[in-house]
Amino acid sequence: MQLRINQTTYEVDADADTPLLWVIRDDLGLTGTKYGCGLAQCGACSVLVDGAVVRACVTPVAGVVGREITTIEAVEADAVGKRVVSAWVKHQVAQCGYCQSGQVMAATALLKHTPHPSDAQIAAAMVNLCRCGTYNAIHAAVHDVAAAQENA
Amino acid sequence: MTKSRLATTLGCFALLCLVIAAVLAWYVTRTPASPFAAQASAAPPDPALVQRGEYVARLGDCVACHSLPEAAPFTGGLKMATPLGAIYATNITADRATGIGAYSLADFDRAVRHGVTPDGRRLYPAMPYPSYAKLSDDDIRALYAFFMHGVSPAAQANKPSEIPWPLNLRWPIALWNGLFTDPAPYPAKPDQDAQWNRGAYIVQGPGHCGSCHTPRGLAFNEKGLSEASKTYLAGGLLDGWYAPSLRNDPNTGLGRWNEADIVSFLKHGRNRHAVVYGSMTEAFNNSTQFMSDEDLGAIAHYLKSLPGDPSRDGPAWQYQASELSAASSAPGAHTYVSRCATCHGLDGRGQAEWMPPLAGATSALAREDASAINITLNGSQRIVAAGVPDAYRMPAFREQLSDREIAEVLSFVRSTWGNHGGAVEAKAVGKLREHTGPASSNPIILQMR
Ligand code: FES
Ligand code: FES
Repeated sequence: MQLRINQTTYEVDADADTPLLWVIRDDLGLTGTKYGCGLAQCGACSVLVDGAVVRACVTPVAGVVGREITTIEAVEADAVGKRVVSAWVKHQVAQCGYCQSGQVMAATALLKHTPHPSDAQIAAAMVNLCRCGTYNAIHAAVHDVAAAQENA
Repeated sequence: MTKSRLATTLGCFALLCLVIAAVLAWYVTRTPASPFAAQASAAPPDPALVQRGEYVARLGDCVACHSLPEAAPFTGGLKMATPLGAIYATNITADRATGIGAYSLADFDRAVRHGVTPDGRRLYPAMPYPSYAKLSDDDIRALYAFFMHGVSPAAQANKPSEIPWPLNLRWPIALWNGLFTDPAPYPAKPDQDAQWNRGAYIVQGPGHCGSCHTPRGLAFNEKGLSEASKTYLAGGLLDGWYAPSLRNDPNTGLGRWNEADIVSFLKHGRNRHAVVYGSMTEAFNNSTQFMSDEDLGAIAHYLKSLPGDPSRDGPAWQYQASELSAASSAPGAHTYVSRCATCHGLDGRGQAEWMPPLAGATSALAREDASAINITLNGSQRIVAAGVPDAYRMPAFREQLSDREIAEVLSFVRSTWGNHGGAVEAKAVGKLREHTGPASSNPIILQMR
């Protein structure tokens, strides 16, 4: 089957029910997307499919054929994604960093859909787990991007 | 009345009592007839018969109760908690001392089809002999050949049951059998075709589908043992799960499934409507996936012939779209979006046959909310199809969500997308949490498989 990932078409040989995460990491070597729980619980594996955030560990690959997939490796090709990454750097959000590619994808999806989210909307959308407890820095960075977009 | 007449009356009465007692004693300990009674045990059977017997054992899912995962196959030991106390499944390997190695074919037949051991003791109907009674003579012969020659004998002493005296007296079971079982093998219906009859035979007999899917009466008897009863396979609450209707009920049953859907469900463990979970996972892992395509087709054909009951099932479900986002404010909606939607979808439709839809799911349409609560608290067991474990499982939310949060998210699911199962009470979640807790002192009453 053919997958569109980060503007590139890949030919992959996988069973229909293989999790997208396995294909991305093991077959294509795009290891920026992380494996945390494999059970849709943590969000470390978040990627964008047609601009919406999905958890790649519970996404059967057959379901995303013909759709536009974006991983952390190419998130900066997106204008919003680029601002999110800059804000992440400015706020020095990452601690160990393991959850952060997923956090960036979730924040990008939120801000593309809702450029000026309220605190409640941020809390509702940013539900990925972070063992290092970077939640406050994440909120600050998301607010920062929203405010910058306002001024832009 | 004179003294002597009184004495005569009393005497007659006493005699009558004695006769009744004697008849009763005979009845409750008698050995049922077996067509194999006069047959001497023959030489080792044809390997084809042993193989055929192995298939019958798959149809009957003997392994579900008579094996423990880490022990030799068919050596028993599974603990079943009944309201009276725990009982244990027995060793049915051909070990002569601890298993059934000394059983003649007739002994084996009496145990499997009538629930009577060679010494006349009655088995508890946790052994589904009310269903196995319908097995054909040929299948009994094959099954016997398999257990005698196809299973390695293993010495493993049976554990005594923990039911205290006098509740552990077995003879009253004979009366229960007289009231609630039919000892005749499955009678083929001449007005139905061969496929229908084969399906009816498997469903009613070896498959013992009714053990879980038929509602039970006060004496814990299945309310019907064949399609002659309108409640046969009409869905039952058992073991902390709601085993759905297998009749043509569009909400709680198979009304929206076609025959191919049923075959796929039993063969692959999934279809576009549902994925096996709860007690059905074991039935799938050990039994249904090993059935031949022909037999699965027959089962599907038979089940689709059972009419639904709109007065029980209610108006048929219709999908209703619902705008849902992370900001939805309905109680439970936020939990749904953050915890459930990644797999089951914001539209509740799941992902093809891999993640089951919750829109139109039986667990969201049945009044009984046990399955919805149980799967949310405890997650799903591993489904192993054709030797390969599944890629996706329902996680357990026992440690992550409170009773109230689970009640709210399930009430949301059971009232969205046209679902009309109704609200779930936090109290009900708490009760099932306690009953299914790994450390519970008050567990589910009967582990039915
Ligand atoms: S790895 Fe996918 S959600 Fe945790
Ligand atoms: S930064 Fe360490 S887990 Fe989030």
